[in-house]
Amino acid sequence: MSEPFAVELRDVVKQFGDVVAVNHVSLRIRDGEFFSLLGPSGCGKTTTLRMIAGFEIPTHGEIYIHGERQGYRPPNKRPVNTVFQNYALFPHMTVAENIAFGMEMRKIPKDEIKRRVDEALAMVRLSGMANRRPKQLSGGQQQRVALARALVNRPEVLLLDEPLGALDLKLRKAMQIELKALQEEVGITFIYVTHDQEEALTMSDRIAVMNDGIVHQVGDPETIYEHPADRFVADFIGETNFIPVRVVSLAPEIVVELGTGQKVQAGWAEEGLAPGDKAVLSIRPEKMDLLEPKKKPQSPSQEMAYVPGVVTHLVYVGTDTRHTVRLGDGSEVVVRLQNIYVGEEPWEIGEQAVITWNAAHARILKE
Amino acid sequence: MERLRRNPELQAWLLLAIPAAFLLIFFMAPLVIVFVYSFLERGKYGGVEWVFTLENIRRVFDPLYFKTFVRSFYIAIVTTLITLILGYPLAYYIANSPPSRRNALVFALMIPFWTNFLIRTYAWLTLLRTHTGLINVTLLNWGLIQKPLPLFGNDFAIILGLVYGWLPVMVLPIYAALERLDRSLLEAARDLYASSFYAFRRVTWPLSIPGVVAGSMLVFIPSLGAFVTPAILGGGKSLMIGNIISNQFLGAHDWPFGSALSMVMMIAMLIATLIYFRWTTSSEIAT
Ligand SMILES: Nc1ncnc2c1ncn2[C@@H]1O[C@H](COP(=O)(O)OP(=O)(O)O)[C@@H](O)[C@H]1O
Ligand SMILES: [Mg+2]
Repeated sequence: MSEPFAVELRDVVKQFGDVVAVNHVSLRIRDGEFFSLLGPSGCGKTTTLRMIAGFEIPTHGEIYIHGERQGYRPPNKRPVNTVFQNYALFPHMTVAENIAFGMEMRKIPKDEIKRRVDEALAMVRLSGMANRRPKQLSGGQQQRVALARALVNRPEVLLLDEPLGALDLKLRKAMQIELKALQEEVGITFIYVTHDQEEALTMSDRIAVMNDGIVHQVGDPETIYEHPADRFVADFIGETNFIPVRVVSLAPEIVVELGTGQKVQAGWAEEGLAPGDKAVLSIRPEKMDLLEPKKKPQSPSQEMAYVPGVVTHLVYVGTDTRHTVRLGDGSEVVVRLQNIYVGEEPWEIGEQAVITWNAAHARILKE
Repeated sequence: MERLRRNPELQAWLLLAIPAAFLLIFFMAPLVIVFVYSFLERGKYGGVEWVFTLENIRRVFDPLYFKTFVRSFYIAIVTTLITLILGYPLAYYIANSPPSRRNALVFALMIPFWTNFLIRTYAWLTLLRTHTGLINVTLLNWGLIQKPLPLFGNDFAIILGLVYGWLPVMVLPIYAALERLDRSLLEAARDLYASSFYAFRRVTWPLSIPGVVAGSMLVFIPSLGAFVTPAILGGGKSLMIGNIISNQFLGAHDWPFGSALSMVMMIAMLIATLIYFRWTTSSEIAT
């Protein structure tokens, strides 16, 4: 192995009785990376994290930290630290004692502990709080103590289990930025568990999207959003349209047939599809535009799709308006248009419209 | 009535008035009576003569009785320590059992209380008696011992009986404290490089101290005042202060001296309790 990864999971399975919490997961997390495990509640994110920390031992497969096989190594012998979902601060110790705990266990000299506790408190901007008890702090402050308590040990990898889950929206947004900045500053590998796709997209270098114990896709935020690998990822990340189609051909061009019989092109098709298969065409609402029927070009280019329909529903959401358009076969498509028109008539319910998109944005996924 | 309905404060006062009056009459009044009787002279056939005296208090510190005081303290302390040493692991085990089994175990712990304490103590008597007790008879019959073991009529028998009787009372508050303990705190300790021993010492133990204090109090106080157990298992030879007190009322008809003994015992208990509280709370902070 030339350059070991910060953390590597090789075909890891974890079963609890009949429940398969983590199902043949392989991941390679690079040094210094902000890596997120993203998925709905119960998909196995926490279990994955707990196996890396050593609280659970995989039923099958191996975990490596910086190339070292972890096996049955207990949590206190692993070069990782965890920020727990509920913070798990010791209620009978002060903030400073909480932060010093890990260093005390490692028999670091007293004066160095003191210095590093002060540094850590300054880092999370809690310098005046050293002698408070956790109960006397707000949720956001407790969160920062938990972070300081873990980071002060300078772990090779920091594991965070929904660390912002208990905070209100505003504080959460602020902490997202703070956390990301901190991670870049200390250069430690972060493995970050969240079920909040927006959080994962804004903070991560790379994301693993999980469901039912399976990793569906690993990639940077743009790849995950723009090029979802399957229907689950497309559905879970952001908003998307799934238009039922039948595959006509996959080469040289990907062509599918809509319910109305109209044929359109697509930029990409999931592996394993064959001509004749039923599938869905996935396209984001903001990748489409609406035209008045008379404005449709006479000789449209091959990569542009023009699909007629009727506007059935309008929702104004500030920056843009969501237009629901019903196609000839009854399927509905949501088109988001930015509210940038001046003078032009906005769309009205019942109006005939032509939806248009570039084939490159359309992805054909298994049902 | 209208005023009462509208005034929640008044409602609260009325609600509190009943238990407060109850406590005052049935809890405080006997204490006052004991206090007053301690300074009076004995009546001929029980009761008191209304003549002030300090003689009863002086007699309490007579070596004859004072020695029993000290022994009672010793027995109560040893009983508390043994129930703690046995009870803590038991509570720990129950608290760490799967939830379904936990309730069954707590339930099992209560089963002895269904039988009268006196009867259970007599049951121990049939086991421990020197020549006819089941244990000695069996061991002698099997030839494992030549002489009967001194299992009865001594401090050993009393402590055994008290430990048996009060063990559940030690286990319950410790169990309650351990059961409440957030397991993620232990994981946090392990994550921060603590061995399982240190995780226990630095997290589990300090957070269970309130349970330990409560359990110790609940065992120490009745052990110090015990009279059924020493009366039966002490075999008339080994007595505790409780026996002397009960004897003053039931046998010697010296109510004032009995009152003086119980008053001094209460004060001693109060002081011991305060010292213990002080000590445990300060050591809790130290860890
Ligand atoms: N200790 C356990 N015993 C039994 N089942 C568990 C245990 N831990 C997790 N599970 C199950 O494993 C699955 C994944 O859980 P978890 O990893 O906590 O999901 P997430 O963190 O993504 O919400 C869930 O179905 C959960 O009920
Ligand atoms: Mg979770």
